[in-house]
Amino acid sequence: MIIKPESLPGDVRREADVVVIGSGAGGGPIAKELAEAGYSVVVIEEGGHFTREDFDFRAADAFTRLYRDASQTVALGLPAIVVPQGKTVGGTTTVNSGTCLRIPRHVLKRWHLEHGLKDIGEDELNLLYAALEEYLFVKRADPEVAGKNNLLFLEHAGKLGYSGGFLPRNAKDCEGFGVCAYGCPSGAKQSANVSFIPDAVAAGADVYTHCRAERILVRNGRATGVRGHFTDPRTGARTQRLEVHASVVVLSAGAIQTPSMLMHNRICLSSGWVGENLSIHPCGATLALMPEVVGNPKGIPQSTYVDEFAPEGIMLEGVTLPPAVMAITLPWGGRRHAETMRDYPFIASYGSMISEHDSAGKVVAGPSARQPLTFYNLGREDLDRLKRSILLMAEIWFAAGAKRVYTPIDGFKELSGPRDFMRLSRARLKRASVYGLSAYHPMGTCRMGSDPYASVVKSTCETWEVENLFICDASVLPTSLGVNPQLTIMALAMRTAGFIDEKLESAPTKGEEAGRLERLRARLRSEKEAVARRLSGESTPR
Amino acid sequence: MRDYFARRLRRLVPVFIEPVEGMPPADPDQVTSFAHQFLRAGTPAFRMLFYAMVLVLQAVCLATRGRSVYSLPPEEADDFVRSLYSSRFAALGAIPTVLGTPIYMAHYNRDDVQVRLGFDVHEMRREAAAREVRR
Ligand SMILES: Cc1cc2nc3c(=O)[nH]c(=O)nc-3n(C[C@H](O)[C@H](O)[C@H](O)COP(=O)(O)OP(=O)(O)OC[C@H]3O[C@@H](n4cnc5c(N)ncnc54)[C@H](O)[C@@H]3O)c2cc1C
Ligand code: SF4
Repeated sequence: MIIKPESLPGDVRREADVVVIGSGAGGGPIAKELAEAGYSVVVIEEGGHFTREDFDFRAADAFTRLYRDASQTVALGLPAIVVPQGKTVGGTTTVNSGTCLRIPRHVLKRWHLEHGLKDIGEDELNLLYAALEEYLFVKRADPEVAGKNNLLFLEHAGKLGYSGGFLPRNAKDCEGFGVCAYGCPSGAKQSANVSFIPDAVAAGADVYTHCRAERILVRNGRATGVRGHFTDPRTGARTQRLEVHASVVVLSAGAIQTPSMLMHNRICLSSGWVGENLSIHPCGATLALMPEVVGNPKGIPQSTYVDEFAPEGIMLEGVTLPPAVMAITLPWGGRRHAETMRDYPFIASYGSMISEHDSAGKVVAGPSARQPLTFYNLGREDLDRLKRSILLMAEIWFAAGAKRVYTPIDGFKELSGPRDFMRLSRARLKRASVYGLSAYHPMGTCRMGSDPYASVVKSTCETWEVENLFICDASVLPTSLGVNPQLTIMALAMRTAGFIDEKLESAPTKGEEAGRLERLRARLRSEKEAVARRLSGESTPR
Repeated sequence: MRDYFARRLRRLVPVFIEPVEGMPPADPDQVTSFAHQFLRAGTPAFRMLFYAMVLVLQAVCLATRGRSVYSLPPEEADDFVRSLYSSRFAALGAIPTVLGTPIYMAHYNRDDVQVRLGFDVHEMRREAAAREVRR
């Protein structure tokens, strides 16, 4: 059942085999797999539950309802980078673009060689990916609904000799409504809120919404449950309390909240790696004023890619922006802003994603567990790659006939042709001169590895320090992935569910223990009644 | 949002959103109401920064133009905002960026504005409602 706080008469205290914190790419698959295996599963989700009818094409409202801190979460540093995260049933998958890519081979090799993760075999991962792709209806974006913006870019990249194609996405019968990041209004996108979570619930799992987990209960080095509280959806004030005792605790709160929880609980900290090793895939975006209408934002926002420069760590991927988002992306105000916005139907957009080489970030404990501080320093090499990605996008847009290209670089906000282009290509950028950067893939802050002194979780995703505490979300990815991470997080979650199942199978489960206790209590009760009847002279019925 | 800042923000809306032909005019009440919601749902740090920027904007205007930002004639207000955006000092550029975030988001989130920009949200909503995808 999906449970809202207003339907609860008071505090909740209960038992389960498994309690999962977070219902996104990590938590969703684990909840489904274990509920379907017959275990009693409780999911705790801080955000609310929304259905397709609630998604109304208003991007700004989606920020306040579906995103953590109305999407104002920022990685501090030069430059500051916005790192949006979902906070709703389905986690960030509910607001993501639906791209589903497998881990690149060279990255998996690095995991094997540098992090001792040889037991995560390529064949095993491929089996998991295949199963997930079938379950999530993953297929290449349909050119019919890919959107003019994306098609134009791909076509002209091709003419310049750059390789690219249509992205694989987890959407069934997608009509290209163009608002994946604000909740899919047709239910086409197979985010966890319409796939894993409903299936987990159908198999008996309970999902508590508007409920924030605060304490991980640990006794004698073993996780034994979770304590948290509900919040009033309107005011955010604390309401009822929740305590779940369980044989296994799974922490899937995402790469920023998960380390924060560990820090505030003071557990699993001795390796020194909790919160360290943050990578985010910094993203740049370009806007281009085209001579023709590009049909914004209709069409799949992220339907195409250009991977010619992937070996250098640059991936170009489509993006379309609804008016409310384009309006905050433009680097001007006043009349110029209003006039440019009036040209909205003619403005195309595309994004780039950098796979980190020399940037580094970390999450540290903030004033409260809810508000950790995130720091990120864009390295010189990565800054140069970011600039190169912007030049590449500008080159492709100009080849497609753009009149002007708008960039997020001070001094080069508007490129009008080859001269500006050359000026930018010669410039040595300062970190402070790029602004409005964003990043959508925080990962690595509780990294997985074979060395307990250099990692937080084992290759099974169980923490080295607290038995029966598993972490499964973007935080366990040991390196920057270079591609969109959700499918890999889901594959690791399926794998982890298998290890939890093995663990629970070999030990009496809370459910079994509870059943045994209940039977014992019933026997004691009937024996007491029998004694009472004997004492009062009644005969025992046979 | 504190009343003081709500009043100030209402008066800043025309400074940020200039009327242009063919587009619906800004509605200061709608912008203020959205900004209230956006700040309440956001981080305390952004909230504080936003309030600080309201004050800093006024201070910079008094220092550089010799008069209150709320009393600048439209042409001069536009010029002032433009000068901040294109300032060589990143800190000055941050003032309109922070203030503009909820202001522009609110205005361009309006159905009538989106429709005018060719994003027919009414039509899209009808289409989406008729197209429920089931697993
Ligand atoms: C706009 C956007 C577009 C993206 N597009 C793509 C894409 O196309 N393809 C792709 O592969 N990736 C994409 N991503 C990234 C991808 O969605 C994430 O990497 C992935 O969802 C992370 O999974 P997770 O399990 O780590 O965290 P999440 O999916 O974020 O789930 C964590 C959940 O835990 C909850 N939570 C946190 N703390 C607590 C607590 N204390 N108590 C209770 N609940 C808590 C949160 O509310 C959240 O719902 C995108 C991200 C964004 C923001
Ligand atoms: S493009 Fe539209 S229909 Fe397709 S997944 Fe995204 S929001 Fe849903």
